[in-house]
Order: sequence, then structure tokens, then C-alpha cells
Amino acid sequence: MADRKTDSPAGRRRFLQRLGALGAGAALTHPALTAWAEGSRIVLPFANGERELLAFPQKRPLIVQTMRPPQLETPFAVFNDGLLTPNDAFFVRYHWSGIPTSVDPARYRLNVGGKVSTPLTLTLDALKTLGTPVELVAVNQCSGNSRGYFSPRTHGGQLGHGAMGNARWTGIPLRTVLDRAGVQAGAVQVSFNGLDQPPLGDGPDIVKALAIDHARDGEVMLAWGMNGADLPMLNGYPLRLIVPGYFGTYWVKHVTDIQVLDRPFEGYWLGTGYRIPDNACECVPPGTEPDQLKPIGRLKIRSFLTSLSDGATLPAGRETVLRGIAFDGGQGVASVAVSTDGGQTWRETRLGASLGKYSFREWTLPFKPERPGPLAIQVRAKGGAGEIQPLQASWNPAGYQRNVVETTRVTVI
Amino acid sequence: MKTRQLLFLLALGVSQTAPGLDITLPRETAAYAPSDLPGYKLVQQNCLMCHSAHYVLYQPPGSPRAYWDAIVRKMRRPYGAFFADEDIAPMVDYLVKTYGAEQAGARAAPP
Repeated sequence: MADRKTDSPAGRRRFLQRLGALGAGAALTHPALTAWAEGSRIVLPFANGERELLAFPQKRPLIVQTMRPPQLETPFAVFNDGLLTPNDAFFVRYHWSGIPTSVDPARYRLNVGGKVSTPLTLTLDALKTLGTPVELVAVNQCSGNSRGYFSPRTHGGQLGHGAMGNARWTGIPLRTVLDRAGVQAGAVQVSFNGLDQPPLGDGPDIVKALAIDHARDGEVMLAWGMNGADLPMLNGYPLRLIVPGYFGTYWVKHVTDIQVLDRPFEGYWLGTGYRIPDNACECVPPGTEPDQLKPIGRLKIRSFLTSLSDGATLPAGRETVLRGIAFDGGQGVASVAVSTDGGQTWRETRLGASLGKYSFREWTLPFKPERPGPLAIQVRAKGGAGEIQPLQASWNPAGYQRNVVETTRVTVI
Repeated sequence: MKTRQLLFLLALGVSQTAPGLDITLPRETAAYAPSDLPGYKLVQQNCLMCHSAHYVLYQPPGSPRAYWDAIVRKMRRPYGAFFADEDIAPMVDYLVKTYGAEQAGARAAPP
């Protein structure tokens, strides 16, 4: 344990050990768990897209967007390995560098207060036995996933497509906890705060809120389990909010405080940050500013080819199986089609078994390219309520919720 | 626990010391590009206090002066950084000339 500089016994006993102003660190030397070695580099396909891959604790080497705080992107090939994203490959996104690096679950407490009859202070064990645990497979996707593909470019994390993941979450419905506390008449929203916080000064802490009916819909949950294991620290250990069908900004990590409110929450991250144009397309002409904004909400329908990446080669005249994933905000993916002629004709693919309406859904299509030459493969998903991916990308100043039909360029030989 | 498992977990930087979970974050690999511009020392003082240099290094290369000015001001209000008014202009100058639209020999990159 010579590489754990900050880990004095006294420090270890402390309930929380926050990262200091400069990250004290250690050289991590362990075998690479994927094709990407520690310290290797990858080039995301946009200007200034070269990134390093590094292994953070409990993680295999992932694409480093920032190190302090950690913002780590999943290499896209992982999405072809299976529908559930492994915990050690799941993306990481924080806002502030004041993140917990040491948590003692025996001393962890969840407080529930505000407009409730009985304010609660729950230990993890008490929370786990408050009701029957539930499981749900759901996609968590960063609002800014794929921001690097925006044209014109927008500022913020310059992400490829890997700031998303699909996991089986284990926890307890938030409704069970709110019912135990007894929500009082007049409650309109519920806010959530976690252990991560600004490193110094009076920057706005990350606090998010949901409408009371949403919070009590029985699907929003407090999860301690992820794919059958405890949450990794960097994904919110020991407890995070799961908001199925909604962008990751609502999935508060390391949740310690829940407040039932009798008026709308007006914190920075809801009132100013994470907002999209308040119009039908939730978009504006590229390079312009919207008149009205509203908080971001549900995931927009998306689909990807995962079995081939840009630059891959395919043998002419031989059948192969194209494979990929699709997901939406919870209506359920109805169909996925593929075009290899620039969108003039589309072939329906076969959908795999459903893991639930909030999960990645697999699609496959037997495919035999006839002639050698360049080939652009496009994938388009339709949702149960008629939602369909657009062929032209829309634009918004923050670079949120990209869902245009994606194109993979390969060569038939 | 088998020795091999334990070694594996130790290698991942994860303590198995019951009952808590402790992690140690890796050492930062990014730094601001050295420069004679006065803003170089200021970004080291004022920006590295709170976040790694990656936030700056990975922005679109054509980002104009107006962007860097706005983002530096945002770091102070509402984000809570402590630097002085007179630091803003030299920091912006360093950032746009090192990472933005005014890089020496700047490509005609789209913003």
C-alpha cells in the first residue's frame, strides 16, 4: 500500500476524506483490462479530439476528459461487448473537484426532511430494509454526450459517444422512503444533494430536484447496487438517485440529503444550468441564442452501430451480421432500421430481447455488401410513441441531447 | 480472500480494509503550456486551484476571445473562484493565444 500517500490511519478513520486542492495521487500499476493500455491514446473524430486513457480506482483504462474532478468516457467498443455496461467501464461525470474519496458505509446517513410529517435519518442498513428491494435496467446518459460532434462546436466537455451506460440498478423506490417520512399537503418538488461539492469558495453545490409526482412515481429509486455489486465510488457510492428515462444530470451521486419542498427549487443547476431551448424542437439555428429556456428532461431516442467502427473493412460478397444498440426515454424502442444508400431506403433490423423499456435494446441485421468501395452505414430508431431520429442534426448552445442518425464509414474490400 | 484476489484489488487502488471504501486518485497528467505571457503564471495560480488543465486543453481550437473572457468571468461568478479583476485580461490573453482562435499560426479552424 506504499502508493496510498493520503491514507494515514487517522485519515482512514475520518468519515469523509475530500480531495484537496491539488489531487494527491499515486501511480497506478495494474494490468490493462481491455485492449487499451494504461496511458495509451485515442483520437475522437473532431478537432482537438486526442485523449489519454487512464485507469482510475475501480475502473479499467477509460478516456480521460478531465482528471480533477474525474470525467471519464467509455471507449465505444465496450458497447459491443454486451447490453449491460460493466461497472469498471461505466462513464464518470462530476462537476466539482470536492469529491468523496473515502466513505464509511457504517457512518453514512441519508436525511429526509422538509415538508414531511416525520423527518428521517437513515443508515444504509435501515434504508435497505425499509421495503422490498427492486431492480431496474436503465440507461444513464450525460446531457452532453456526443457534444464534440456538434457543428458549429459548442463548449463544455468535448465528449464522443461514450458518456452513456446501461446497468441493472438495485435499490428501493424513492416513493417508499417518501411515504415513510409522510409527504405533507402542499409539497411540489423534492430536492437531492450528495457529498460532492465545490472545492472552495461559494460556487453552487450540485443540487437537483424533481416534481413531487415524478419523485413518487414508484420508478425513481435510490440505488446501492449496480450490476450486482456495490456502486463504484466514482459512480456514487454508496447511494445514488436513479431517474429512469432522464438525463444523467438528475442522477445525483452519493445522496445524503432529500428535501420535500413547498415551492419550486431554484438552485443554479436547475434554474440556470442544464437548460435547453423552450420550443418544439428544443433547438435554435446554429450559432444563435434561444429566447426561452427550460430544464433538460427525458432522453431522446438514439441508436448506434456497435459491431463496426469508422475505418473498418468488410469483405465483399460475404454475409456478416451488423449489430448495435438503441434506447429512448422510456416509451420503448419500436424499431431500428439501417440504410446503406444515404437514407433513400431502409431495412428493418431484428430487435433482441427487451431488458425493460429504459434499457439498451440490441438490434441485428444480416448484411452482405456486394461491391468493393466505401460504404456509409446509417442507423435510425423509432419509438413507441412515433418519435424518430432526425437525419439532420439540430443544434442548441449547450451541445445537449444529440440524437441525429449516426453514420459509420467503412470500406468493402 | 485469496492472495491473488487481494493483490488485484490492491492494484486497483481499492482498499479492502473493512468497513469503508477508500480510493486514491491518480496523479494529474495535464499541465498548462509554458509561456512568456503574464497570464501563464496566473492560470497556474487561479485555475489549478479547482480543476485540472484538461478543461482548457480540450476545448474547440477555434474558440474566440469572447468565449475565454466569458468562461473566466463565469469561474468567478457564479462558480466562486477568488482571483482579482486585474487577473482577468492577462488570463484571457494567455488562454486565447495558447488554446483558442489566436494561437500562433492558428489554423482557420471552425469555432
